[in-house]
Parts: sequence; structure tokens; C-alpha cells
Amino acid sequence: MKLLHLYHDIMNLYGDYANILALERMLKDNGAEVVIDRRTLGDQIDLGAYDFIFIGSGTEKNQKVVLADLMKYKDQLADYIASGKVLLMTGNSFEMLGKTITDGYGKAYDGLALYDFTVTEERGKRYTSDIIADSIACDQPLVGFINKSSMIHGIKTPMNTVTFGFGNNADEMTEGITDHHFYGTHITGPVLQKNPHFLSKIAALLLGKKPDDSSFTYEKKGYDNTLKKLSERMK
Amino acid sequence: MKRFFTILICKLLRFVGKLIGKGSSMPGQIALKICPDILKRVTLPQYIIAITGSNGKTSTVEMIAHILTKNGKTVAWNREGSNQIEGVTTMVLSNATLSGKVKADILLIESDERYAKKTFSYIDATDYVITNLYRDQLTRNGHPEFVFDAIADSIHDNTRLILNADDPLVSTFGNNRENVVWFGADELTSDEKELHSVYNDGAYCPVCKAPMTYTTHHYNHIGHYACTSCGYHRHDTDYTVTAVDLKEGWLELDGKYRVSLALKSLYNIYNILAAYTVARLVGIDGKAIADDMNDYVLKNGRVINFKLGSRQGTLLTSKHENSISYDHSIRVACACDEGADVLIIVDAVSRKYFTSDVSWLWDIDFEMLDNDNIHEIVLAGAYVNDLASRFSYTNIPQKKIKLFEDISEAADHLNSDRKEYIYAITCFSDKEKFLSKVEEV
Repeated sequence: MKLLHLYHDIMNLYGDYANILALERMLKDNGAEVVIDRRTLGDQIDLGAYDFIFIGSGTEKNQKVVLADLMKYKDQLADYIASGKVLLMTGNSFEMLGKTITDGYGKAYDGLALYDFTVTEERGKRYTSDIIADSIACDQPLVGFINKSSMIHGIKTPMNTVTFGFGNNADEMTEGITDHHFYGTHITGPVLQKNPHFLSKIAALLLGKKPDDSSFTYEKKGYDNTLKKLSERMK
Repeated sequence: MKRFFTILICKLLRFVGKLIGKGSSMPGQIALKICPDILKRVTLPQYIIAITGSNGKTSTVEMIAHILTKNGKTVAWNREGSNQIEGVTTMVLSNATLSGKVKADILLIESDERYAKKTFSYIDATDYVITNLYRDQLTRNGHPEFVFDAIADSIHDNTRLILNADDPLVSTFGNNRENVVWFGADELTSDEKELHSVYNDGAYCPVCKAPMTYTTHHYNHIGHYACTSCGYHRHDTDYTVTAVDLKEGWLELDGKYRVSLALKSLYNIYNILAAYTVARLVGIDGKAIADDMNDYVLKNGRVINFKLGSRQGTLLTSKHENSISYDHSIRVACACDEGADVLIIVDAVSRKYFTSDVSWLWDIDFEMLDNDNIHEIVLAGAYVNDLASRFSYTNIPQKKIKLFEDISEAADHLNSDRKEYIYAITCFSDKEKFLSKVEEV
């Protein structure tokens, strides 16, 4: 099983790297042999060689630098998603797959245009909130944290429906994007550590069977605790 | 007349507020309602020194006030730590005569980094110290570059900047600017050539985003850096920590003045250096400053010694959602050659706002605790499972780790006949829950 953590040193703002560690552990628990490659700006990679690709969140400036580099993978990434392989993008990384990102000064950057949506950043503005969201990706709600300065319009296939927190934009409570087994969410950081049921779902896709998740007791209790705290807060 | 009235009201409210134990923000808040530009209508002293940054503001301001006062200067400063415009207004007006003259040689302002623009739209600082930009309370602050933009908006052209040369992001405030004073540390014996940390905010140049290289890391992204592409590099320093000995516990300033450290850690060296720099710029003699700083124990209660039954320990107040502050505390515990047990509590992430986010645990270098000096690790609080998960990804033997959701039970467990010194590492938001179980000494 080959896992790729792409832009591991520049898109790792909120502890996002932990997602790869969680997945590695669950796959190994289930008897898989796992190789992790960590790659970054300037590398040349054959994305098709991987079973799972992950990109985490970054600052607005770093995202633009990464976007320029990611452009060379445009066709490869489209093929990868269309082939049904698993891609997870947390925080503002999935914004790069849309049509344009307009920064806080009004400058527009072309995205990979794999999808039709547009992103608008607001200078000096930060949308931060804990989040609870029902997700297409898994049966139980996702919990986590949203930390962004952007509004996203035009996503036709959202991944989540937010019950507490922010959606893709001020008018919609839908959040993120999904297509085949591509999951893009503005939930930042260690999403898989915080949501062991989502981790199991990803692992199941890779293993082709429901995984044994019995060694994830801390994560399950941690999830229950956070869901309880957020649900109380929501009331 | 309006000025007189506003100052009078503020002073009265502050007087009453002190009697009934209220905070220091409210009087200023009301003063600003009555007269929004009151800070422009008062006569300020010759020196207006502002301080901001992620970590160490309160400590630095406290030390500057201590040195300057000892050397015969009168200093008006926000000693309660209320560092947004309301608290600053309370402080300024409390120190003013009813005719609007601030009675001090120096006005010393600790400023919140996110909201500095508001405060300094009314006050023209003569000097502005920026200590560092770290990952700090990101659930509120976004990220360091976002905070950078907020601080940039608060800087006036005529202000002299006093910058930490070892922090690559902070140093960019000095680009294309004449009136800058630089402080920093030479290569230290405690430095690392290769960074050992779970993340690296110095990996890429803050100016052009090409890779950066470091000749030395003091800790994390703080050190001697140079961009591989645009030529941006660490600036030479005007005021310098020339040596540190963490075993003996001292640092040396400008090759001449030795200051003994109350806590054997790099934690405070930039606060001491920034205070020294400011005091020198105000005209205080270097030796006098060093004498005033020897064994100086901060009064803000960050380090508290305690007894728990027959055992002794120290509480190192760290900041949740701030990995560098945790890393410093962990290094102190690991340096305990006699052997230490470590208690880590995460029960409420913040005391000021709600969040249940624990992403920041993944930025802390807990791997350092895989050290022969560390015997037992006790994890406690409502987020004990998130801590346990994080620790399960270190190489620390699991049998060294004990888990308690209840902080009292953790304290009971530690109240044993073990001989190890106890280091308790937690935040303001949680420390009282532990201190209520021990005897402070």
C-alpha cells in the first residue's frame, strides 16, 4: 500500500500530518504493508503509483506557492480521482482544484479547474469555529475545526452538511466537496484522528473490507467527548 | 471639559472596580464611549514603548518596568495585562492628571497582537518591540502570517522598531526600513544544527517562499537563517545574547554582562534580551541592567513551586494551543538529571473562549519525553484520550504513561512515596484545578 503525503512541509498548519500516521496504523493493524512517501515543491511524482494521497492546510500565501507547483499534476490528478482512488484534502488545500482563487487584495489565481467552484479570500477576516457536520463519507457526524478566510461558491457535490459551524459560504450550510473517492473538507488538522469512523471508512476503501479498528479506543473516546462538548455548546 | 470629565469618570470607575475586584478593561471601555479619541487628547511622555508578539509580552513588559523603576524612572504600564485598547485606555487615564498629562517618564504598553491597530491608531509609539510570531491560539488567531498582517497595520513610519533578528517572519518588519534596532542570540551551546521538531515554520522564506537554510537553530524556527534564493537572511544584531549555560543557569549579554536565570531554560532569554535592549535605548547602563535582572523571578506566577505530600515539584505554566511554550516546558523537565515525573493536564482548552479543538497537541514535540530522566508521565483532564492518542504515536514506552480523566485522581496518584521531582505542565485555564490539590511553597 503506497501513501503519499504531498507538500508535507508547507501544507501542515494545524497538525494535518497526523492523518497519515493514523491511516498507516490502521492499515498495518489490518495486515497491510505500508510505504509512506513525503514529497513537496519541485518534486516530480507519478501520482498513479499511489493508493492514497493526502494534502493538508496552509497559510493563504503558502497555498498560492503550492498551487503553482500543483498545476503540473492537473491531468494526473483528474485521472487519479476518476479512477476511484482515494484523495483526502483538508483545510484550504482543496480550494486549489476549483476555477479561481481571488486573494484579499483582489488578485485572481487560476486553479486546476477540475471543478467549477470559485474561492474568494477576505483580507483581515478569519472564520473560525468548531464544527459538527453530517457527511456523505461516513455514517456518524464529523467533528473538528474550521479555520479559513475564504468563501467558496459553486460546489455542486458537497461532502458535508454542517449542523454547527460554517459551510462553504455565508448562505449555504453545505461544506467541502466530494467526487468518487476524493474528499475535500475545510475541516483542518488531524481529521482522521478526531473521527475514527471516517478513518475506518478510508481504510475500508483501501483494504477492500471493513477494518479491525479495535486499537483506536482513545480516538473513539476522544470523539465521543468532543461530540458531546460541541452538542452541548450548540444548545 | 470633556477630557477632564472622561478622565475623572475613568479614575472613579477604576477606583470602585478595584474595591469590588473588577477587571481593568471596563473603565477604559466607558471612557472610549464618552470620548472615542481620548487617547489623542492626553499629553504623553517622551518615550512611548509598545510591545507585542505571540509569547513573552507580559514577562518582557514586567521586566522592563522593573529595570526602569529601579533606575529612577517613573513608568506607566498595564501591569494587569489588559492589552487591548480598553485596558490600555484605563491604564493611560489612571496615570494621567485631570488636565490630561500622563505622569511618567515612560509609557510602556503591552499590546495584543491581533488588535494592536486599534490601540496605535490613537497612540504614536516612539518604540515598538516585536518579540516573536509563533503558532499561538490558532483557533482564534488563524496563523502567524495572518497575525503578521494585523501587526503590520499598526506600525507607524516614524516609529523605531525593535525586532527579534532570530525570528524570520518578525524580521521582515524591518525590510526597507531605516529606524530598526535588532536583538538576537549568537550560536549557543544548546543549539541544534538539524531541527528536531514536528513542524518547521522556517522551512520556507517569508519573503519569496523559496527554501531557507539554517546554520543554527536555537529552537524551532528561531535561529540563524538564510534564503537560498532572494538573499533574505538574519540581520546582524545591535544587542546580543552572546552565551547561555543552561546547566549552571546563566546568560551573557553583549559579551560583558552575566545574568543568572531563575529557570534554566531558553524560555525567558528573549524576554530578558528585549528588556535589556529597551533599557539600554532609554539610557540605562548595561551593568546596572544585568544586576537588576540577576535571578529575577517573574511576578506573573508562570513558575510555581509546590509540595504534594512528601514530594516536591514545579508547575510550569504553559499555553494550550501554543506548542513552543509546551516544548520549552518539556525541555526543562528533561534536563532534570535526578529524575522527574511529568504531569500534563488538558481540561479546558481556553479560559477566554470556547473550543474543543486539540489539533495543537500534534505540534508539540512530546517525543522529547522519551528520555531516561523522565520516569512516569501522568496525563489528565477532559481531553486525556486525545493526549493518550497523541502519546501513542511517540516512542515513549506505554507502561510509563498513566491516564486520569479526573485531575484530583491524578493528584492523588502523584501523592505517593516516589522520590522523583514532579513537573506539572499545563495552562492558565487549568492550573488552579491542580494547584488547589497541592501546597504552594
